[in-house]
Amino acid sequence: MIRLTLPALAEAERPFVTRLRIDPNADTDIRDSLLVNEEAAGASFSGARGLIAIDGATGRELDGDVILVQPAPGRVERLLRAGSRTNSLLVTERCDQLCVMCSQPPKKTHVDRFALLEQACLLAPPGMLIGISGGEPTLYKEQLFDMVERVLAARDDLAFHILTNAQHFTVEDAERLRSPLYARTSWGIPLYATDAGLHDRIVGKAGAFDRLERSLATLILAGARVELRTVLVSANLHELPALARYVAARLRFVEAWSIMQLEHIGFAKGRWHALHVDHRRDFAPIAAALDQASLHGIRAQLFNFPRCTVPPAYRSMAIASISDWKRKYMPGCAACREQGQCSGFFEWHPDADAEASVTPL
Amino acid sequence: MTFLPVRVRPLSDEAALCVNDAGRFFAGSHGFVDRLLDEALTPMDRQFLAREGHALEADDPLGLAAHLHGVAERLSRAGPLDYLILVPTLRCNLSCSYCQVSRAGLAAPGFDWSEETLAAVLACLDALSTDRIKIEFQGGEPTLRPDLLRAVIARCERFAERQFVVCTNLQQIDDEILALFDRPDLFISTSLDGDATTHGRNRTGGPVRTDRFLANLRTVVDRYGPGKVSALPTIDATAPPDIDTLIEAYAAHGLDSIFLRPINFQGFARKRHKDAREQDLAWRAYYERFVRAIIARNWRDRGRVLEETYLSIALRRIFQPGRDRHVDLRNPNPMGLDYIVVDHDGMVYPTDEARMLARSGIIDLSIGDVRRGWDSEARDQLNAHATNQFDPACQRCAYQPYCGRDLVDDIARYGRIDMPRLETEFCRRHLHLFDFVFALIYSDDPAVIYSLSRWLRLPGTPASLGARLQ
Repeated sequence: MIRLTLPALAEAERPFVTRLRIDPNADTDIRDSLLVNEEAAGASFSGARGLIAIDGATGRELDGDVILVQPAPGRVERLLRAGSRTNSLLVTERCDQLCVMCSQPPKKTHVDRFALLEQACLLAPPGMLIGISGGEPTLYKEQLFDMVERVLAARDDLAFHILTNAQHFTVEDAERLRSPLYARTSWGIPLYATDAGLHDRIVGKAGAFDRLERSLATLILAGARVELRTVLVSANLHELPALARYVAARLRFVEAWSIMQLEHIGFAKGRWHALHVDHRRDFAPIAAALDQASLHGIRAQLFNFPRCTVPPAYRSMAIASISDWKRKYMPGCAACREQGQCSGFFEWHPDADAEASVTPL
Repeated sequence: MTFLPVRVRPLSDEAALCVNDAGRFFAGSHGFVDRLLDEALTPMDRQFLAREGHALEADDPLGLAAHLHGVAERLSRAGPLDYLILVPTLRCNLSCSYCQVSRAGLAAPGFDWSEETLAAVLACLDALSTDRIKIEFQGGEPTLRPDLLRAVIARCERFAERQFVVCTNLQQIDDEILALFDRPDLFISTSLDGDATTHGRNRTGGPVRTDRFLANLRTVVDRYGPGKVSALPTIDATAPPDIDTLIEAYAAHGLDSIFLRPINFQGFARKRHKDAREQDLAWRAYYERFVRAIIARNWRDRGRVLEETYLSIALRRIFQPGRDRHVDLRNPNPMGLDYIVVDHDGMVYPTDEARMLARSGIIDLSIGDVRRGWDSEARDQLNAHATNQFDPACQRCAYQPYCGRDLVDDIARYGRIDMPRLETEFCRRHLHLFDFVFALIYSDDPAVIYSLSRWLRLPGTPASLGARLQ
């Protein structure tokens, strides 16, 4: 597992954002910090805000990373790693839903970091797709829109993918979201069932389904780009074919529909046996949903489904969905020809279960 | 509840096909049609209609937005010019009985691009705003001028995405031609009319040249694999070849996609094949038998999927709007925008058929030339009528969301574009095609659903493809 937070000492007193560089001749910026020293324990960098000494990584590993330096607790957060295609910024830990399988259970408090995150985005490596997640980012909708618009206006090479429960879009937002800047923003939105009661129970909020439909109507009229996400739990497995028909009838505008296998963390960890579906035993409802979506030209994909656990006809839909820093493969995977295209397992997935389920392709 | 309008067409003895403006459809029983006319829909009917996007509940902004989106999705939008059909020479080393371009003799002077025309084509490529390009070399026989092909291809290096198609009779291939074909971004398109006898009668004129063609086809298929090579048969509807023989001729070369075309009513075909003016019922019956033979073959041999190309296009247009960029079946069908044809003399035409009409002396449908441009009044006039949305017959037709418009075909056959739509060959052909496709969609035969699922590129085979309301 790649560590996203590293212990560090800094001269500055207040948090700040900087980009780390090891080559002084590279195209540098006033906001950069340059490598000044490297030892066994870590690397030291120097910039306009003084010295930073980071433990646990080499200069080369950190080169190009955009970090948030937090002097008081003595650590740095690697916000945007130059070597990774998948970087995600957490804008809040508050949420107004409480999903039964939440991988990152919400907190009551909110620390406003929008200004720092915006600085980080402006320093992002060229062409990066920046993920934004939470908590629920649109609880701070105005600040979120402002940040996205300012960053995309300043950097025409960047794009955003924002995870949201879509409980807060209003008809009035459509005009703003029609701005050409949002052509480089896509929204990842969860929908668990066509039955409003079941969806509401899964997300832990009464009326969520109705509110979601209203937001989706706004997003259609805004020409927004949406990736629909459905986490598989035992309660919705057999609802998937109906959900596929619903998507074909009402949500044809989505760019993709991702059916996601459960992540063994957060709430799902404690409720694993109640929630988890072994798709190897009962793939038929998933297959029917994938066929229905494909029939109507909707790009369906499987997230967090190791390829060897998916029937061959559907295997190409099982993509390498797990970010590098939290992904692992089993010893049995070493001989597999499809490992490069495979999601693998979450770092926190129980090894015994993972090892028992792989058969190298 | 608001009931969204549907257009209805008989489907079978028991049911009618109901299609809305977004192209969403279901098979409604005659009982349902009666209930609809009597305004006696049951709660079950209403639930079905709302769920399937045919009716809106009072407060359903998502249903409304989804419907509007669905209607908009059915309208094609031409992007910037990124597809050029180029005719570097009109000369040809064959003289097929139905040649569609009024070919020129092998040694005839004045039928190749001049230096100026080549320079203008290259300048045109330089001016394109896209980062992708598709170029189809037509003729004549384009491989007679490999130097021109190379010059064009070299100029396209700047495009991130490139595709070249050489439409060739494969009569003569040497090292120079093979060096061109070796490019991974180049594809070969040829004609194969069936077995050697049929092919010889229609195209090569004798066994020696037929054998050379078949050997060359084998050479390129072996050298590059079938994925790089496509072939089309041209069928004389008055004497169509034996279906199984035709299919096996394709299968033997690893060619899985067969575009069954009747002789086009163009060029010399106009003089020699007068019967081609109207494809009669015999052709439609042949076409259906052909498709059913492929379905049976696919069912017998699951390791391999053959298809009739145009049927697959029509089928995908029904279920998957916005996916196909097939310029022969789209609506609106604007001309001279996203693709053009540049003839051997530098004249620009909206379609290859328009070029043939001009060449045959029927009507000059050129919209400009490659030196001076084609943003012309002629183009605007064509495009003012390039849609089926406002035609009174199309407005009542269940298949309008899936269908297209072909002005040039109308002009070729009737000399005018304001024929009553139902009296045109384009309309009759497509009514038949869509009737046939929907009969297949609602078939209970697992072999049929299996083939349709493959042609729709589905991973599995659903139990059924279309909704039904009893």
